[in-house]
Amino acid sequence: MTEAAIAVDSLEKSFPPARSGWRAFVQPFEKPTVVALSGVSFEVREGEALALVGANGAGKSTLLRILATLLLPSRGSARIAGHDAAREARAVRRRLGYHAGTDHGFYARLTGRENLRFFGRLNHLSSVAANLRIAQLAEQFQLGEMLDRQVRTLSSGTVQRLSLARALLHQPRVLLLDEPTRSLDAIAAMDFRRFLKKQILRRGDTSLLFASHTLPEVELLADRIAIIDKGRLIACDSLSALKHRTAAATLEDAFLRLTGRTPHSSQEDAPE
Amino acid sequence: MIRVLRELWLFFSRDLSIARTYRISFLLEIVEALFGTAMFYYVGRFVDSPQLQQALPQGGSYFAFSLVGFVFLDYMNASLDTFDRSLEEARNAGTLEHLLVTQTSLPVIVAGSAIYPFAATTWRIAVYLAWGALLFGFPLHAANWLTVAVVLLATLLAFSGLGILSASYLLIFKRGNPAKWFMLGLSSVAGGMLFPVSILPDWLQILARLNPVTYALDAMRAALLAGAGFSGIWRPLAVLLLFAAVLLPSSMAIFAWALRRTKITGTLTHS
Repeated sequence: MTEAAIAVDSLEKSFPPARSGWRAFVQPFEKPTVVALSGVSFEVREGEALALVGANGAGKSTLLRILATLLLPSRGSARIAGHDAAREARAVRRRLGYHAGTDHGFYARLTGRENLRFFGRLNHLSSVAANLRIAQLAEQFQLGEMLDRQVRTLSSGTVQRLSLARALLHQPRVLLLDEPTRSLDAIAAMDFRRFLKKQILRRGDTSLLFASHTLPEVELLADRIAIIDKGRLIACDSLSALKHRTAAATLEDAFLRLTGRTPHSSQEDAPE
Repeated sequence: MIRVLRELWLFFSRDLSIARTYRISFLLEIVEALFGTAMFYYVGRFVDSPQLQQALPQGGSYFAFSLVGFVFLDYMNASLDTFDRSLEEARNAGTLEHLLVTQTSLPVIVAGSAIYPFAATTWRIAVYLAWGALLFGFPLHAANWLTVAVVLLATLLAFSGLGILSASYLLIFKRGNPAKWFMLGLSSVAGGMLFPVSILPDWLQILARLNPVTYALDAMRAALLAGAGFSGIWRPLAVLLLFAAVLLPSSMAIFAWALRRTKITGTLTHS
C-alpha cells in the first residue's frame, strides 16, 4: 500500500487567549483555551486534490499552517509523505509548496523576478533551474513584464499570482493553498484553476490540499471535499457522495445541511 | 558547507539589492560621517592636553581615542539591532513565514539576515576612519590590520549572541529590545567609549570588566592606534571569544525555543 501524501490523525489545536498590554507577557506561558481544531483526521492520496470548505474561523488555515510547519499541534499528528510536520519539519518542507492566501510576503523593493529567484534558491534550486522555472511560471501566470517591476508597484492580483508561482517553483509533491484565487480577477482565477487542473493535477504526482470559499472552484478541482465546522471535520467525501448523503442538489446546499446553518444565518460566513 | 555559504550569500545579495534602491541614503551616510568625525575632532581640540593624553591607554590624541570608541560602539549597536530589526521587518512584510517554509535552516536564516547590516556597519566605520585620516590626522598608518580584522570578527561574534537574544525577546513579547537598552546604557558609562574605565570608581570598574564592550574597545584601540599584534591583544581577544562561545549557542537555543513558543501560541506573524 502506498503512503498517503498527507495524513492527519486526531489533530487538535488550541491557542492561549489573546492578551494585550502587560498581560501579553504571560500569554506565551498560558494554558491554551481557544479550540481551533478538534480531533480532525483524514488522508490525501498521492495525486489527489482535497478541498477544505468551512466558514471563516472554522480552522482551515490553522490546519494548513500546521501542515506547513508554521504551527505546532496541541495533540495528534499531521504527516506529509510519512514525515511528521512537528518533528521532521525540514523533511516536510522539502516536499511542500505553500501559498498563504495573502497578497504580501515579498520584498517590496525587489522585482518579482528577484523575489522568485531568492525563494527558489532557498529551496535549493540551482541558478539555472530557478531561472528556467521562473520563465515557465511567468508564462503560465502571464506575469510578462510585471516580473521585472518592483513588487511594491504591482497590483494585489499580480502579487497573488507571484505568490502562487513561488509555491510551485521547486515543483513540490504536496501543494497547500489557502484561498488561492482570493485576490484574482475572474479570468485570472479561471486560468489558474485550469492550470492547476491540467498542468499539476493531471500529472498525478502532486497532491493538493486547498482551502476555498469559492464553491465552483472546489467543484472543479477537488476529488474530495472536507467540510470543517468549528474546528471539527464533519464530512470528507466526493461531491456526489456529499450530495447523495444530504439529498442536496448543490454543494452549497450540502454544506448548509451538514453544518446545520440556514442561508440567512450564514450569509456572512458561509462559502459563496 | 558550500550550500550554507551559498545560502548566506543569497541573503547578502538580497539585502544589497534592496540597499541599492536607496542610493541617496547611501550618499547621505558619507556626509553624516564627515560631520560626525569633525565633531569628535573639535571636541578633541577643545579638551586635549598632555595630561589627558598620558591618561589614555595608548597615548595619542583624545580625538583618535573617542572616534574609535564611538564608531566601534556602532558595531555593538548594529549587533544588538540587526537580528530583531530583520525579524520585525520580515514579520511586518509577511516574508517571515515564507522564509520558514523554505528548505533553508533557521540558523542560516538568522545569520544570513545579519550579514549585510554588519557589512554596512563595517563600511560606515571605514568611512568615519577615512574622513578622520584624510582631514583630521587620525593615525591610520599605525594600525595592524590583521589584528584589527580579528578583533572585528571576535566582536561581531560576541555581540551577535546578544542580538539573537534580543530577537528571541521580540518573538515572544513583540516589542522592545531590553538587551540593547541595557548594553548601550551600561557601555556609555562603563565601556570605555569616551573615557578610559580607569577613571571610574571601583564598583563601576567591576561592571566594566563584565561588559564585552570594554574588551572590544581595548583590543581595537590597541590594534588600530598602537599597531598591537596578537601578543598585545590576546587577553581581551580571549575574553571576547569566551563571550561568543557562551552567548552564541545559548542565544540560538533560546531563539529556537522562542520560535517554538510562537508556533504553539500562533503568534509568529503577530506584531
